[in-house]
Amino acid sequence: MSQLTRFDALKAIAAEYPTEPIVVALGTMVREMLLVGRRDSHLYVLDSMGLVPAIGLGVALSPAAQAFDRVVAVEGDGGLLMGLSTLATIGLLKPEKLLLVVLDNGVYAATGMQRTAAPSVDLCAVAQACGIKAHDIAAADELATALREARQRAGPMLLRVAIGPENRPAPYFLPDPVELTLTFQRYLALDAEQAPST
Amino acid sequence: MPPITTALGVDTKAAVEARSRAVIDALEHIAPTHVLWLPSSTLKAVIDHVERRAQEGAYVSFPLTREEEGIGIAGGLVLGGAKPVLVVQNNGLGNALTALTTFAQPYHLPLLMIVSQRGGLNEYNSMIHTLCERVDDILAAANLRFFKLDERVPVERWSTSIAAAWEHALMTHRPVIVLCNLLF
Repeated sequence: MSQLTRFDALKAIAAEYPTEPIVVALGTMVREMLLVGRRDSHLYVLDSMGLVPAIGLGVALSPAAQAFDRVVAVEGDGGLLMGLSTLATIGLLKPEKLLLVVLDNGVYAATGMQRTAAPSVDLCAVAQACGIKAHDIAAADELATALREARQRAGPMLLRVAIGPENRPAPYFLPDPVELTLTFQRYLALDAEQAPST
Repeated sequence: MPPITTALGVDTKAAVEARSRAVIDALEHIAPTHVLWLPSSTLKAVIDHVERRAQEGAYVSFPLTREEEGIGIAGGLVLGGAKPVLVVQNNGLGNALTALTTFAQPYHLPLLMIVSQRGGLNEYNSMIHTLCERVDDILAAANLRFFKLDERVPVERWSTSIAAAWEHALMTHRPVIVLCNLLF
């Protein structure tokens, strides 16, 4: 069984959720997601390490989320550990739409492969203790299945995906962040307008 | 409730009550969809009110684990068309600084933070001055817009000032912080 790469995992997430909002964490995560394909449905978080689960939670709680099956937040293990207490808030609020995918390579890959504390933490057990459904994923077919099933099961859900530490060469992404806000907001508002009223 | 009488004997009860009422009136006027909060003993009446109104279905109210988490959640809510308000204490603004300057500011997210101003005159906790008394300078250095309400602003003007700060956030597409000193 070959180990998943970050690029493989991002490609699988984008393929399963081509129209749902996806909040993408900084650094190589954003740059590799852009290699997979830039979309208006993606919010590229260029900095703010550790904040992606919180941002995803906010979008999942917002009126715009009603138009989508899921709101996906893609975070790394280092980022999750930095904002770990947000798991408690997610568990408290239990947003059904939220799918949090943690790509866990055990290192801060963007800054030179320094180790994180993730290898000594059972991240799924932490999430479950907070009241979040959670699953460990290690292979490509498992990931595809879990992403597909996550659409059918009310969240919140965390998928911890074991990936290798390599970075795919990708250019820097240097937009004005307000451009990212407006694109994402317009996408959400557009879809919200098309959603059936409930 | 906090010690209503300060260490040196100043009775702040009437001021805290009147200013808490003004903050509550402002929240009612703004009519948020979500109120995200971390407690401050001087904000007890405000947070009790928010929790009660949430029970009545006026909006969603929930506690945060950290201030920066609140910036992330509120930012996501704004992106999705909601109208959140944050209620926190200034002693924790340091926690929020990176999130404010790397997310809310550059992504042009209008957020209103109602922040209890602790530290300074009439403060009853000796430890709390360390960060709180420097908050104005920190916010200014970070180019974060803030307004101050204390005894120099008649309490009758507090509610409209907070509502105006919310409009200022919308107008400028940026986070706005209202430092509310309930003790002085």
